[in-house]
Amino acid sequence: MPDAHFYHYDDYDRTLVRERVEQFRDQVRRRLAGELTEEQFKPLRLTNGLYLQLHAYMLRIAIPYGTLSTRQLRQLAAVARKYDRGYGHFTTRQNLQLNWIKLEDAPDAVAMLAEVDMHSIQTSGNVVRNTTADHFAGAAADEIEDPRVWCEIIRQWSTLHPEFSFLPRKFKIAVTGSPNDRAAVRVHDVGLRLWRNGEGQVGFEVIVGGGLGRTPMIGKTVREFLPKDELLAYLEAVLRVYNRYGRRDNIYKARIKILVHEIGVEKMREEVEAEYAAMKDSALRLDPDTIEAITRQFALPRLVHKPAMVPEVERLRLEDRDFALWLKSNTAQHKLAGYRIVTASLKPAGAPPGDASSVQMEGVADIADAYSQGEVRVSHEQNLVLPHVAVEDLPAVYRALQRLGFAEANVGKITDIIACPGLDYCALANARSIPVAQRISNHFANLAKQHDIGDLKIKISGCINACGHHHVGHIGILGVDKNGVELYQITLGGDVDFGQTALGTILGPAVEADRVVEAVDSLVATYLEARTDGERFVDTYRRIGAEPFKERVYGNPQ
Amino acid sequence: MAIPNEEPVQPEGMLVLPNTVDVLKLGDQLDGAKLIVLEFPKFTDGRAYTQARLLRERLGYKGELRASGAVYVDQIPFMLRCGFDSFASTQKGFEEALVKARKKFSVVYQPVGDGRATAAELRLQRIRTQAAA
Amino acid sequence: MAKNLSGELHVATANRLADGAVVYLDDVALWTTRLDRATVARDKRTADILLERAKAQSASVVDLLLIAVVESDDGTIEPLSLREKIRASGLTFAAIAADAVRYA
Repeated sequence: MPDAHFYHYDDYDRTLVRERVEQFRDQVRRRLAGELTEEQFKPLRLTNGLYLQLHAYMLRIAIPYGTLSTRQLRQLAAVARKYDRGYGHFTTRQNLQLNWIKLEDAPDAVAMLAEVDMHSIQTSGNVVRNTTADHFAGAAADEIEDPRVWCEIIRQWSTLHPEFSFLPRKFKIAVTGSPNDRAAVRVHDVGLRLWRNGEGQVGFEVIVGGGLGRTPMIGKTVREFLPKDELLAYLEAVLRVYNRYGRRDNIYKARIKILVHEIGVEKMREEVEAEYAAMKDSALRLDPDTIEAITRQFALPRLVHKPAMVPEVERLRLEDRDFALWLKSNTAQHKLAGYRIVTASLKPAGAPPGDASSVQMEGVADIADAYSQGEVRVSHEQNLVLPHVAVEDLPAVYRALQRLGFAEANVGKITDIIACPGLDYCALANARSIPVAQRISNHFANLAKQHDIGDLKIKISGCINACGHHHVGHIGILGVDKNGVELYQITLGGDVDFGQTALGTILGPAVEADRVVEAVDSLVATYLEARTDGERFVDTYRRIGAEPFKERVYGNPQ
Repeated sequence: MAIPNEEPVQPEGMLVLPNTVDVLKLGDQLDGAKLIVLEFPKFTDGRAYTQARLLRERLGYKGELRASGAVYVDQIPFMLRCGFDSFASTQKGFEEALVKARKKFSVVYQPVGDGRATAAELRLQRIRTQAAA
Repeated sequence: MAKNLSGELHVATANRLADGAVVYLDDVALWTTRLDRATVARDKRTADILLERAKAQSASVVDLLLIAVVESDDGTIEPLSLREKIRASGLTFAAIAADAVRYA
């Protein structure tokens, strides 16, 4: 079994996680014995990733920068089998959720995770959460530098940070190493974009105050260029300003985006830079040897040179239309010509998006061992990625994924829907999202039609917390509750790709559940009729505006 | 040391600070301070952690730093690392927990004023010893 | 914790602390996973008593509250809100079966 090429825990990391497991075990014991009230216990269980949902506890397992070894993926399958109902859900923050956990089993479940250097620390609560990255990191052809090095550095710095464990609200950081931002950095509390300046140095653009939810906002640039070794000092300055001045009187106004909005980006910059200047020569400056030791662990695996053009693949492409479509939509350009990045679509027609059974997880692990250097990624669009597949192995990978039902050629297409768990699972939701996703998925199942429609991202949230990222969907769907009836508000024109960040605008009145598919159909029809050559759905929308779409969905206004 | 909650008498050298105070602006109020009491109105309000670190690390305060208000066992590791050395807590079992808490986490990632070597520092030491060998 | 006592019928519900299971207070003030065994309060006075009884048993549960239910002619109790219906009867779609190789 090949060794995965990313950060490996050493004894320090392992000790910390194991001690944390023991602390949590004791806290659960005290809670079950009545020595802790729920009010005292709730923040403790949240910072160990344990939510109470409608039917059971849910455990949110951190998958740092969306990167997994096959050993880890197999252990996730085993935990799901032993302590849950044999399946899990991959989330928009590259984590895994298990929905049927018992509190009394949770310490054993996290102990099992610790065996493979995994944990659920700080995946919930008012703390710094899992730092996410580009799911093609390390493999993508357009990458300047691997963002995961910095995600790991941030992960360590933010884990059990004694000053920042009781923030006003949650804090989410994302890092991109590519000009094509696949990590949605502009809708995070802090977004970091690696770029190369005129002098050829690589540093970070620091973007603060983005976020979705009740008051969606696009982050503002607080620092254009930050030298890499200053990253932690600067982040500490940002967090300190937030910890001191973030609102604590109203949970809906407590994120850093509200602070930036209220004091303005200039004042925010002033405060952060002042704090940063006061600590610049501190112990937080990263030693080059530290950076080097971590960077080395993320080095590209030594991939044997492989041919870019393989006769068998070409032949199959011509003979098998579905394979041809799959190559087009589900594989992406790798740094090396003889390889491709393969996305396993966890959106089979009619299935709950982003879910995988234990057997499926193990199946993907097998494929990754045989064909992808033992490494798997989780994308924030709820799919799995095999980052290093040789072109000559594509037919075998395709067939293996087909057996799991993960070879639908729909990545980036209309049925590659992102949906939160919604009212079927979540105590915060107003409406269901999974059945809506299933109906849309079934309606547009025809592959040729999907490829004709082209790139179209539908994102569905069951409530204003926007875990489905509906604000940045080309078509966003937000579930609302009106007098006990589920209604769905449609937004158009959101985006987080290719350096564009835009929030969708509301199309019109919310529609009933059984009219959603019809509405989406009308939107697609409007696009197909109006598009000019090469225009995606969102491009046509930007060109012609909302009116034609609105008319088609709601009819002419009287 | 854990001290039961009692009305502060405000003897000389004692400062009781709400958690909204910017400690960097205290100036000469800090001169001669022997005991500073910081507040946790709710244990989820973490502003005093920042105040504590700034007092210890930026301002060099060396006197007693006491946590008061909602002070509970599970926050002890964080409080110790931020520089608190005394605690006004009424929670049952706090004293015993305080003794245990000092040993609870043997590995830390962040450099704070508590003088503990971080994992990163220990790793560098390892690299350098190995290189020298 | 009580909700909207407008003369509707109410039951007491919570999630069991140890395993998160949805539970209802029954006639002998024990927590049951079966809605059909829940004790029903038919007016405000009984609802207040029900809430007190439930609170007395709250050590083993979390998120305790009274919820409105309706009773059909044959005596079947059903929650009024969609959210509580889902809590009572589970997911409204077929989740992937444990150890399924593919969905459906």
